[in-house]
Amino acid sequence: MTAELPPGLALQKVDERIMTLNVGPQHPGSGHMRIVVQIDGDYIVACDPDPGYVHRGEEKMAEYRNYITNIPHLERPVIHDSCNVLYPYVLGAEEILGIEVPERAKYVRVIASELNRCIYTQYWLAIYGIFLGHSTMFMWPAGDRELLIDLMEKMSGARVTHAHFVPGGVRNDLPANFEDACLRQVNYFEKRIKEYAAVFYDNPILISRTKDTGVLSKQDAIRLGTTGSVLRASGVDYDLRIKEPYDVYEELDVHTNVMKEGDSYARSKVPWLDMMESCNIIRQALQKMPKSGSVRTKLKPNPKTKGPETVYKRVESGRGSLGCYIVSDGKTEPYRVKMSVGSFRNLIALPYLLKGEKLGNMPSVYWSLNYWPVEADR
Amino acid sequence: MSEETEKPTPETTEKSVAKQEEVIELPALEKGLSEKLTSKFGEKTSIAFVKENRVRVDVKKEDVHDVAEFIRDEMNFDHVESVTGVDFPDDKEIEVVYHIGSYTDNSLANQVLTLATRAPREDIPIPGKDGTRLPTLRDIFYSVEFHEREVFEMLGVYFDGHPDNRRLLLPEDWADLPPLRKDFAIKGR
Amino acid sequence: MSVLAPKFKLSEFIKSLFDNAFWALLLVSLVGLPLIQVVLFYIEMPVINGELLTPFLALTWLADPSRSLPIVKAFMATDMFRVMVFPGFGFAALLAAGTIFVERKMLAKLQLRVGPFYCGKIEGILQLAGDGLKLISKEIIIPAKADKPIFWAAPVIFVATAAAFVALIPVAPGGWVVADVDLGLLGVFAIIGFFPIITILSAWSANSKFPFIGGIRALFQMVSFEIPLILSLLGVVIVTGTLNLSEISASQSFFPWIVFLPVGAIVFFITMLAELERIPFDLPEAESEIVAGWLTEFSGMMYGLVQLGTYLKLYAFAALFVVLFLGGWNGPMIVPPFPEEILTEGIVLGPVTAKFPGLPLFDQAMLNGTLWFVIKTVGVIFFILLPRGVFPRIRIDMLLSLGWTKLIGLAFVNIFIALGLLYAGVLGPGGLQ
Repeated sequence: MTAELPPGLALQKVDERIMTLNVGPQHPGSGHMRIVVQIDGDYIVACDPDPGYVHRGEEKMAEYRNYITNIPHLERPVIHDSCNVLYPYVLGAEEILGIEVPERAKYVRVIASELNRCIYTQYWLAIYGIFLGHSTMFMWPAGDRELLIDLMEKMSGARVTHAHFVPGGVRNDLPANFEDACLRQVNYFEKRIKEYAAVFYDNPILISRTKDTGVLSKQDAIRLGTTGSVLRASGVDYDLRIKEPYDVYEELDVHTNVMKEGDSYARSKVPWLDMMESCNIIRQALQKMPKSGSVRTKLKPNPKTKGPETVYKRVESGRGSLGCYIVSDGKTEPYRVKMSVGSFRNLIALPYLLKGEKLGNMPSVYWSLNYWPVEADR
Repeated sequence: MSEETEKPTPETTEKSVAKQEEVIELPALEKGLSEKLTSKFGEKTSIAFVKENRVRVDVKKEDVHDVAEFIRDEMNFDHVESVTGVDFPDDKEIEVVYHIGSYTDNSLANQVLTLATRAPREDIPIPGKDGTRLPTLRDIFYSVEFHEREVFEMLGVYFDGHPDNRRLLLPEDWADLPPLRKDFAIKGR
Repeated sequence: MSVLAPKFKLSEFIKSLFDNAFWALLLVSLVGLPLIQVVLFYIEMPVINGELLTPFLALTWLADPSRSLPIVKAFMATDMFRVMVFPGFGFAALLAAGTIFVERKMLAKLQLRVGPFYCGKIEGILQLAGDGLKLISKEIIIPAKADKPIFWAAPVIFVATAAAFVALIPVAPGGWVVADVDLGLLGVFAIIGFFPIITILSAWSANSKFPFIGGIRALFQMVSFEIPLILSLLGVVIVTGTLNLSEISASQSFFPWIVFLPVGAIVFFITMLAELERIPFDLPEAESEIVAGWLTEFSGMMYGLVQLGTYLKLYAFAALFVVLFLGGWNGPMIVPPFPEEILTEGIVLGPVTAKFPGLPLFDQAMLNGTLWFVIKTVGVIFFILLPRGVFPRIRIDMLLSLGWTKLIGLAFVNIFIALGLLYAGVLGPGGLQ
């Protein structure tokens, strides 16, 4: 029978004891994906993630548009983190097009990408809260996010899909008095997120629920190639902002937050600590930023490339390292654009971690992987 | 398609890992990496380029498994960040590019070793049943599992020895061409 | 040109008025009048103030307020009133509706948002009515492979069981309870024992995976928490020596039992949260794991009925806590006595003086008892709602180990405290009471 079917479509024989649950795609605890979970009683015996429900073919679309017109659609995978998603593509395009970025634009980029990281992490944290049945932790981050969204709106004109980074700098200069507003709102934001500890991170029920569940050891985190907060929660000190600094990150004092435990609790705490670090970076960048100057090297509408070339650029996004591999054949459109996204890389840990776990731990382990279904599908 | 042009490895300079030097001088670490590979495999590998933090190696599909094993065991690279398939219909080949990084070795933290190999391409693909095949690297780098599944469905490259060669992103009943091939055209473009 | 009714014609509008009038008259003469005749002539009427309630008197009393109050009083003495209006269903449903509204507003304030706001002019006070109308007007979808009779019956049985629970709660002194049973507390235990059966029946009959898992979880949870629940209440029974809830309530006229049995009260409160499936024990409805648990396949008003039953149950448990541990209706007399001059002289409004025989409708003790009962119940409900804003959901294995080990142990500690108090002579004969 298996000979007739295409590869991977073999019929499965399962035990009578085993119940197969389709968690998703229309399920409050799955996001835009499906997790086929096989449970024996309350224990998960097998788990098969099935992403692809929001696959939009961004990579294929990128082959038909030139380096500038690719920008608005390549940020769609994670609109909450749109600056960071665009960042490696823009860096790669700059290398291929051979243009320099003004100093002030680099600082504006750092500020925008750190603000976006916080916006994304707040959204992620809100969903983590509601996955654990903590509705206050859903509403608070979703509300405090607005502080930073207002800042991004001042900066780029759009609340969520900014399309602010372009090859050669950023689209607009900062508005007048942006520095003061940014400093004020970021300081208040940092004060707010510190309050989350009282209601969420120090909550005894949360700790007893997420401690020692879904433990990813350091060796396994490296072997599975996980990235971002998942990797740092397992004790690997790896942050591209330090290890391979891009733009002006090497001039800023960046720290990473590393936890040794590797369980769901650590994985959920590291992004929260990262948000405070982002606030520090924003303050430093505001201080060191040149007060005036150009923010964009203007390009022609359909810029020419230097010639056939391949570049692979990486940045640290809200979900970990985000690589963009651009193959150029000398034409005005890229020959191939590949986004190596953190969500897709962390997904491989899901079947590994869920096996043998209780069904009640599924949402907390799944969402602690810092997984964003739309980004993984691209 | 610059991958085809082999560059001779340029001159050596001393360089510390964390800070970069002038761009013209090629850093020693990357050069050391490429030399390590060429000294071991000789003619089997060809170094496509050595840039700052990036080294690219092109190998034939028969040797990719051995080279990957050497990269993992002797060169301290431990995970694959990304597996990309690139379709070259003019060459009748599909290129599969592995971007390999290292978490354990701190001196390699900013390095990405690019391992590229090519599989023959068929004009009328029957994914999984035609000659577009490559040996899998999953037994060497566990992290390629989902990436190779994606390359299989998007470009029709079957990975021999991969335990789970199923569709990942595309629907189960997808019967068209693998969509990232160049002859799969988007409507209206 | 009217936008709302573009094809409006006055002649057709008048014709429709006549049509409606015709049908109304026809129905009244064919159905309504005979029904009134049947009621008036064939049903035995009560005797009020020495007069038989004949149709003639009934119609005159409708017009004369001095004669209508005795009818109202006679109606209030019937069982029907008790079941449907005051200590029974209507009162409980009103408190339950208030609970839903307060829950939504309070949670919203905790979470720095507004909550229901637009429906109704004041703070979205009509939101609940709007939601109810929406639920009624929604289509009811039954899964194709469901066991239909059981599936249909489950929400109705759920509400009925919750209402039966409500019936056992004494609200005010003087027999204001629907069913004054000597073994009232045993009745409570029996009714609580029905809930897991209803849950598992509805979950099984839906023939779907997520309700099934939710039903099993609810079964585990309720069974494992029923034992500490029953044990925690035994302390009160030992101390008072009765199972009648009214007598337990009356026995706390000097001090509530929570003073002597705080351990039992805490255990009962925790088990109450679990029985009510409230956060942090809302595992049977754990949204992110099993969609909505055993409620997944319910739609429309079936879901509404289950929600109604849930909130009735919430009121009943809070009231039980008040009756057993917080002294029931007992409290200082704060309701002013009924003004005597209205009874003797009537209400003087300038030249007109109206005398109302039959006043007062309620005596002072009953009003005061009801007031204290409601205040205490609302307080307990507030503490039941509060964890929802603070706690995440617990996991099933932690829940079961909590129920089977810690709570049962604490409940036994509570029983030993009660026995110790009794044998030491602090309480009981010769003691404080």
